[in-house]
Amino acid sequence: MTSATIAQGHDPLAETGEVYEDAVVIRLIQFSVLWAVVAMTAGVYISAELLWPTIDLGQFWLSFGRLRPLHTNGIIFGFGVSALMATAFYSVQRTSHVRLFSPALAWFCCYAWQLVVLLGGLSLLAGWNTTKEYAELEWPFDIAIAVVWVIFGVVFFGTIARRKIRPIYISNWFYGALIIVIAMLHIVNNLAIPVTVDKSYSLYAGAQDAVVQWWYGHNAVGFLLTGGFLGMMYYFLPKHSGRPIWSYRLSVVAFWAFTYSYIWAGPHHLHYNAIPEWVQSLSVVMSVILLAPSWATMINGIMTVSTAWEKLKTDPALKFIVLSLAFYGLATFEGPMMSFPSVNVVSHFTDWTIGHVHSGALGWNAMITYGTFYFMVPRLVGAPLHSVRLANIHFALALAGTMLYIVAMWGAGVSQGLLWLSVDEIGELSFSFKDVMTSMQPFYALRLIAGLIFLTGTLLMTYNLFKTLAGRQAVVAKAPPVDPAYAINKEVTA
Amino acid sequence: MGNSIYSFLLFRALYAPKAAFAKLAGADPAPWRVLFRYALWLLILPPLFSFVGASKFGWRVGAAQPLVMDSNALLLISLGYFFILFFGLVTTALISRWMADTYGANASFGRHVALITIVGEPLAVASMAHLFPDVFFNALVLIPTTIWAMYLLYTGIPLALGIPPERGMLMASSLVGWLLVAAVSLLGISMSLWTLGVGPLLGV
Amino acid sequence: MSALSLHKKIEENTGLLIFGILLVSAIGGLVQILPVLNQKSLEEPTVNTKPYSAIELTGRDIYMREGCSVCHSQQIRPLIAEVERYGPYSRAGEFVYDRPFMWGSKRTGPDLHRIGGKYTDDWHRIHLIDPRTVVPESIMPGYPWLAERAASETGNIVAKMTALRKLGHPYTDAQIAAAESDLEGLMEIDALTAYLQILGTGLDEEIAR
Repeated sequence: MTSATIAQGHDPLAETGEVYEDAVVIRLIQFSVLWAVVAMTAGVYISAELLWPTIDLGQFWLSFGRLRPLHTNGIIFGFGVSALMATAFYSVQRTSHVRLFSPALAWFCCYAWQLVVLLGGLSLLAGWNTTKEYAELEWPFDIAIAVVWVIFGVVFFGTIARRKIRPIYISNWFYGALIIVIAMLHIVNNLAIPVTVDKSYSLYAGAQDAVVQWWYGHNAVGFLLTGGFLGMMYYFLPKHSGRPIWSYRLSVVAFWAFTYSYIWAGPHHLHYNAIPEWVQSLSVVMSVILLAPSWATMINGIMTVSTAWEKLKTDPALKFIVLSLAFYGLATFEGPMMSFPSVNVVSHFTDWTIGHVHSGALGWNAMITYGTFYFMVPRLVGAPLHSVRLANIHFALALAGTMLYIVAMWGAGVSQGLLWLSVDEIGELSFSFKDVMTSMQPFYALRLIAGLIFLTGTLLMTYNLFKTLAGRQAVVAKAPPVDPAYAINKEVTA
Repeated sequence: MGNSIYSFLLFRALYAPKAAFAKLAGADPAPWRVLFRYALWLLILPPLFSFVGASKFGWRVGAAQPLVMDSNALLLISLGYFFILFFGLVTTALISRWMADTYGANASFGRHVALITIVGEPLAVASMAHLFPDVFFNALVLIPTTIWAMYLLYTGIPLALGIPPERGMLMASSLVGWLLVAAVSLLGISMSLWTLGVGPLLGV
Repeated sequence: MSALSLHKKIEENTGLLIFGILLVSAIGGLVQILPVLNQKSLEEPTVNTKPYSAIELTGRDIYMREGCSVCHSQQIRPLIAEVERYGPYSRAGEFVYDRPFMWGSKRTGPDLHRIGGKYTDDWHRIHLIDPRTVVPESIMPGYPWLAERAASETGNIVAKMTALRKLGHPYTDAQIAAAESDLEGLMEIDALTAYLQILGTGLDEEIAR
């Protein structure tokens, strides 16, 4: 017990003596940023290949079909999951008032995951590809992912089990759902018979495989890219605004409604495809229902900051987090809308889908992650951000890049959808596929520019965080005393 | 105030938006006067340009032949376009007015209408691109204009409503959220109408 | 007990929370996915749908390796324009030997489900090596290496067919025994072409018309 804590008037009995394990958080942030740069560069490169198809230079590993899964997997598993692990480790300690359960396992989790992403990425370039979207990695990696994931779960839930505070905080429900549901989806969807180290055949075939795959694909988006990042929002937004979450009740209802209804919506990725009709109809209904908990959560977030404006200082971190909520609102509205058969008939198979994914991935996931990193990094090393000006420029670039990307893909997608379906008076097709494809070039050019703008912003952040971190160590952060009213140990209160 | 605010809005808002916002901060014009003396003229521009452009040249979608529609259908579409813009302006102003309470801004509905009109003004003028109805050309002109309009939104809200920049930023972001949702709804509704049989033929 | 006080219990107990999440998230899958997995009609092949031969299977694995499904769907929706453009709409029974399914989610290039028989083998070979020699506007990448690698090196064909037989694909012993010699002398580009030519030929000729 230090004299400082006594001087502040804390109850000496309640002092926990726990020191947070923060070095692993910093390392995960570094890896996350690294993968963001790598995977976004791959994205920009393949978007250029759609304009100049020969820039793969005849090299198999630069071919579009191999770089595209590298781009998606790099973003989701490299950038996204590393960021989720970093923020989960950071916030679970602070909401439980204890050090991580087994820091050694946490470090193992950190490095093992990076190894999986690195080798997995290389295996994709080598052509080990199951072709199931966002589950392209072959069976050895599927097993490795499952093992690391379980360890992630052990560290996370182990920490919660040791907590000094009675209630489990809301952000931890979302991180918990991320860990549990993704494990379930990952294992079921990847069941396969291995043939050789680089090849396996799915246990499911044809239409059944399609339904299982989109149950996975849709909910990987749901519980990883939506739920996991909502965990981020639920911790960092109240933390930053110094206010409790606006409505506790709303967060309880929204969480369970979200967890229940998301799972059903997967087959809306297969409208008019050769799967049973009742599955398609059910998925439309559930997609629309899903809008309610999605937006309830957004409203909860916005109201949390809105009721605290007198305390707010606009720093780049908050700007990013608040704007990310606007794009979250767009993406979670656009999704159910695109699941309507009358809209889907136009949007399916077009670039509109790509635009929709990026309004989520750039506008929501990347922006809230950037905001969170700008918030965490200075606090982790106890030094101010290297340059607030650069971060503000990054904000403008991220906003412009995302808007341009979305609008370009709306244009491309709607044109494709309508022109493909367009017929003349005697019922003959108005446009050949080739004509429609050629007319996409301007939109693809705009998208390339959008990607470059967004990547430039990310590079600015990389430099900014690197300068903030350079030569600094994680500051020693101790768990503050627990409010006796919430303490888990009744004796302490007595 | 009288006429001065309107004459100020009508031209100078375009090249001196910050001065216009500052002027607006001290005025609470009547909403219907802003709408009919000022906003209406701007709202007529895009449908007018698109009607002229589409009837003279036909919409060009990339390499394909121009899509020519008969003038009755065009008139209907232009009218629809106008009403959507009108509806969009009024609802955005209403939402802005409604949100203002949350962010501690107390301004009359008229001021919100004027604010949204100034923000949208560059887009109305840039819709001149509709005269040359090529999808890509229009995107090239309108996208940078949209980014400019968003800049105006972020600078205009704190200036015109007299609230601190940090609160203005939050409110602007919330409005961006609404505008994005409105835009995508419009897209969804028009696609649904199209696939259900209104508009050019589709083989569905 | 009110709902909120029930929730107090859940949110104060790690085990209950884990169990609750698992239960609530599993319902959708159990009610919606399990019946589909048990629906036997989805496992019945259409008249002319047969397990892929050793050559076609190798071609299909090359198709997977190169990520073709990223840009080409194999799913024709029952829409007038789509049937007019590509051919008869896709039936579930045509995909019963597809592990995994190859329907795709994006058409940067055209749908390929009924591509079989539309072009000659030679056209495919030229097109795969350098698409722009036959379609100048094409933005498809070239795959020159397919003409330089032997089809027998794509993978262990016997192990593949044996694994698929375990999953219920009706391969005979003779087919598996002959698999390696079937591939002899063929390049990867030949195998891929064979796969493309078999695509969409699984329908009864009556329906196909």
